[in-house]
Amino acid sequence: MGIRATKKRLLVSVAMGLGLALTVNAQAASKYPDIGPLPNVKINKAKAELGKRLFFDPRLSGDAAISCASCHNPEKGYADGMALSAGYPGNKHFRNSPTVINAVHKNRWNWDGRIGTNLNDVTRGMITEDYIMNMDMRIMQERVKQDPLYVKMFKKAGYGEPSNGSVRKAIPEYLKTLTSKNAPFDNGKMSASAKSGMALFKGKAGCIQCHNGANFTDGKTYNTGVPENWDVFMDTDRHQAFLAYNMFMGNEGRMHLKRDAGAHIHLHKADKSDMGTFLTPSLRELSHTAPYMHNGMIKSLDDVVAFYNDGGGQDSNKDSRIKPLGLSSSEQKDLVEFLKSLSGDPLTGSKYVWEEAYPDEYEAIENWRQVKN
Amino acid sequence: MKTLIKTGALLTAAVSLAVLSGCESANADKAEGFTGKLSPISQTAVDAKASTSGNAPLAPLPDSVPVPPDNKQTDAKIALGKLLFFDPRLGGDASVSCASCHDPSQGWAWAEDLSRGYPGTVHWRNSQSIINSGYYPGSFWANSVPSLEKQAPSAAKGGVAGNGENDIMESRLALIPEYKKRFKEVFGDETPLIDNAWRAIASFERTLNQTDTPIDKYLSGDKSALSEEQVRGKALFEGKAGCIQCHNGALVSNMEFYNIGVPPSKRWEEDGLAQITFRFELYAKGSNEELYRTAKADPGAYFRGKNKWDLGKFRTPSLRYTMYTAPYMHNGAFYTLDEVVDFYNAGGFDEEGRTTGWPKTKSGLIKPLGLSDDEKADLVAFLEAFSGDEILMDKPELPDYAPMFTLEELKEAKK
Repeated sequence: MGIRATKKRLLVSVAMGLGLALTVNAQAASKYPDIGPLPNVKINKAKAELGKRLFFDPRLSGDAAISCASCHNPEKGYADGMALSAGYPGNKHFRNSPTVINAVHKNRWNWDGRIGTNLNDVTRGMITEDYIMNMDMRIMQERVKQDPLYVKMFKKAGYGEPSNGSVRKAIPEYLKTLTSKNAPFDNGKMSASAKSGMALFKGKAGCIQCHNGANFTDGKTYNTGVPENWDVFMDTDRHQAFLAYNMFMGNEGRMHLKRDAGAHIHLHKADKSDMGTFLTPSLRELSHTAPYMHNGMIKSLDDVVAFYNDGGGQDSNKDSRIKPLGLSSSEQKDLVEFLKSLSGDPLTGSKYVWEEAYPDEYEAIENWRQVKN
Repeated sequence: MKTLIKTGALLTAAVSLAVLSGCESANADKAEGFTGKLSPISQTAVDAKASTSGNAPLAPLPDSVPVPPDNKQTDAKIALGKLLFFDPRLGGDASVSCASCHDPSQGWAWAEDLSRGYPGTVHWRNSQSIINSGYYPGSFWANSVPSLEKQAPSAAKGGVAGNGENDIMESRLALIPEYKKRFKEVFGDETPLIDNAWRAIASFERTLNQTDTPIDKYLSGDKSALSEEQVRGKALFEGKAGCIQCHNGALVSNMEFYNIGVPPSKRWEEDGLAQITFRFELYAKGSNEELYRTAKADPGAYFRGKNKWDLGKFRTPSLRYTMYTAPYMHNGAFYTLDEVVDFYNAGGFDEEGRTTGWPKTKSGLIKPLGLSDDEKADLVAFLEAFSGDEILMDKPELPDYAPMFTLEELKEAKK
């Protein structure tokens, strides 16, 4: 696969260097970071192993009922299979759970793109948000310190005593292990139909304008006119979380809001042209992560492609690049085949999943009066 | 129980009386015992004087509970506060309300040594009763907040209590039409403001008072209100046993801070969950490395000013309503009043000879009392005179959520 990709990059640079009149396809491709295999990441095994145990541990949520894996479930491609995610007990979430596979290859996270720093911050955000895991990390730290296996694992990972800071490092280290494995696109085993789809992807369909680079995302936010999911407002458990999030992000008009403001929540553009804009999602692992879009409004890849072929949905802020594509039904099928070729093997089993049981209760520290806290 | 609603005029009068009479007055009068005006930390000198030059005598609790001028009592506000007090949606995962740890059927407290805490946690201190809390100058065992209005959010948001956050709790209120209507009526809120929820809860709590106990009746002139045993106990309380040195005035507390030698909770030695909370509290309340690593007992009032001389000190609790609020002490070390009396009689040691983890600050007032078994029985009998009938209340029916918009309104929204 590496060879194929290298060759392609060569071709593009040669074409550009020569300044030749290119085909439409090549022209579209050359303007954007090329799609291709993901770069390798160096993983510290002991840290990743610790992060794995933390990722699946419900004691990392306020009432110890849910873990990261509750909404990023290995059986569901590290998403949760629902249109809108479950969220913390007592409320529900108002967005679709995005997969965390390849999250390490992103430079911006959350559907509204509100975190653009690193996975350390994402980890903190998800653990502490009241409608997600609602954890006071100071309590989390002391819970972790109460588990002798964690004490050992933190030490082995070189972190010393368990701390909030090292939890926030270990989980991202584990996330490095969750990258596409063996996707036909990467291993050169794409079907003919998928190959045709790739040409459309880069050319006529114009997907590459936003879905570019090795992880098929430009890390920017756009409005494509995805219809609202009314459950966000009609289900009071979701609406309360939506309102809380808007309040936390400082959105004054939240009580009257009848749509998901998307990136406006942090960009706050005066002309509101950022209303309803959402981060370009990666297209990798889509076979495992239906339904699609920030609110799960589109059920299948066929429907996604049809949606774009129709020129997206209705929205006054819709990006000008979203227009009818005029793809034939066989072209649409090819495009779907290409999208499917971006999905690898399911990341299940003990290599990726912490399968050992967690203790039912916290062991008391012996000789408590004599030992240091 | 008596439901008391005070007017502003009465409040002003009561405050003036308290200020005029101070703490050293020997004249018992109705307003004198209420120390609601005093800020305990800053009143150390006054109270120290009180304890040496004659203690404020026991007094009936005045019917008029102090009401802050910016949160007047109204029937509608009290009724709203009652709903909110019982509503678990004012908590993190919508499973715990104020009433979870202040359960009317458990003395408006929690009948275990350490309070139950948020799911997945246990608290590190004993839950205190709500009864008469409106008379106190502040709340919590170290008097760390100055009002009921400040106590409610502190508990609802604390990690091992309600673990709620303002944004989600306020959002939930906005989705409950009955609350929207009531907050508008009571506070004029377009949508309910969380701070007004705390005000309403405080107003409700100010109605939970007991001023007709045997001791109130006795001190108001009904000499038949106490048994002979209790009268003997009263003499011990005010004399040989020395209880009155701190447990004085109408609240049966001088609202001062002492280390009386209560031993650390055994839960911290035996219970992993309690150990977690213990370290969390040390961390969250602001400890230096040394304290965090070495403390094996609750530093108590130390956290208020970070003064070493406050280590292990707690505010003198009222003895009112204690018949229903076992176990006792800041960590629930004693499950019966007999054990409490034995503890004092032994000079601040439990039956196993354990005492405070902060011996340097243990009060000199605490020393062996030499009480006989009969005397101890009399004293316990007298302690029961501080409680009247049990105040019980059923959980009210709570209003439901309803969507804020209709589907039609959502569909018509401009995009």
